[in-house]
Amino acid sequence: MDKSKLSELMVKVKNDRDQIAFSNLFDFLAPKLKAYFIQNGLSADISEELTQEVMSIIWSKSDRYDSSKSAVTTWVYTIARNKKVDFFRKTAKINVNDDDIREFLYENGDEDKLSRKEAAEQVNRINKELNQDQRKMIKMNFFENKSHKKIAEELEIPLGTVKSRIRNILIKMQRLL
Amino acid sequence: MNGTLVKNQLIFDYASGSLGFSKSVFASTYLYLNSKASNINSTFEAMLGEDLLNNDNIPVTKLKYTDCLKNEKNDTNEIYADVSPISKLVGPLNQIKWKQVYKGFKEFNPKVSDENELKLIKMDPGASVPLHSHGGQEYILVLNGSFCDEYGKYNKGDMQINDQKIKHTPIACKDEGCICLTITEKEVIFFGRFGSFLNLFTFIKSFFK
Repeated sequence: MDKSKLSELMVKVKNDRDQIAFSNLFDFLAPKLKAYFIQNGLSADISEELTQEVMSIIWSKSDRYDSSKSAVTTWVYTIARNKKVDFFRKTAKINVNDDDIREFLYENGDEDKLSRKEAAEQVNRINKELNQDQRKMIKMNFFENKSHKKIAEELEIPLGTVKSRIRNILIKMQRLL
Repeated sequence: MNGTLVKNQLIFDYASGSLGFSKSVFASTYLYLNSKASNINSTFEAMLGEDLLNNDNIPVTKLKYTDCLKNEKNDTNEIYADVSPISKLVGPLNQIKWKQVYKGFKEFNPKVSDENELKLIKMDPGASVPLHSHGGQEYILVLNGSFCDEYGKYNKGDMQINDQKIKHTPIACKDEGCICLTITEKEVIFFGRFGSFLNLFTFIKSFFK
C-alpha cells in the first residue's frame, strides 16, 4: 500500500468514521504492528494485545491525527512506540508515584515539531545526499559489520581511502541531521 | 565520540523508545527546551515510521478489526499546562527544596531509582561544579540561567556532555547563576533485557539498504 492510499484511508476514518476504510487500514497495519512488538522482544500474545490497543487508538482518536503535522506512518509509529514504552515501564519496577508522568513524557513539544513536509524533506535529503557508493560503504561497514580492511579488499580501493571516505560520510550525516 | 553524535544518539534512543525512565525525563526536557533537538527528533520519528512499513507481516491470529472499534475509555484529552517534563516530575523549579552541598552549590535528587542518576543542580553566580570523576558519561542541560566553561557559554536549552576524556569545569555566569538537570550514566543499559538494541548508525545504514 502506498503512502497516499494510507492517508486517504486515514482521512475517511477521521472524517467519515468509515469502518470499511478502517478495516483496510487494519489489514495493512496490524501485521506490521505485531511484527514491531515482536521485534522488541515481546511475546506473540502480548504483541497482539498491544496491536489491538494501537489500532483502537487509531480508530477512537483519529480526530487527533493532523495530516499537516505528520505522515500516517509517523503518527502510527509514535502511538506504537508509546505503547511499548508504557508496557515496559509498567512491568519494570520504577519508583515513581505519579503514574501520570508516563502519559505526558511523550506529549509535549507538539508545537515545535517539524511539519510532515519538513520531516519528509529531511529524510529525502539524507537519502539523496549519499550516493550509491557511500550507501554501499555505510551498509558494509555498519550493517554487514565488515572491517575497513575487508571493505578495501572487496571494493579494491586502498585502505586509507576507505577510512577517510567512511569518516566523511559520517560527518556528512551529522551535518544533515 | 563527539558531542553531536552523543546528542543525536540520545535523541534517537528517545525517538525509538529505548531509554529508561530517568533518561527519558532528561531527553524530553531537552526536546522541550531546544527546538533544534526537537526537529531532529521529528526527523527520526518520520524515519522510524517509514521503517515500520518495512516490517515483515506477522499475521494477527485472534484479533479482528471489529475488536478495535470500541471507543476507548473516556478520553484523556486534557490539555497539559505548558510545563517542562522535569517540572511535571518535581514541581516548579522555584519551589524545590535544595540541599546545600557546599557554598554556592546545591543539589536535589528526584526520587527516581533507575540505572542512571538524575539530579538537579543549582549554582550561584560565579560558583563552579566540583571536580568529580565517574565511569560513564555525564550530560548537563541548562534549565535556567547559563554557565561557561573553557569551550564556551551554555544557555537555557543547551546541553554539555562530559566524558572521562574531556574534562570541563563549568562555572555559573557571574550575573545570573544557573539551574541544570544532569544525568550520570552508570552504564549503558537499554530497556531491560527487552531493549531494542538499536544504534543510530545501525539504523541509518539499514534504512538505506
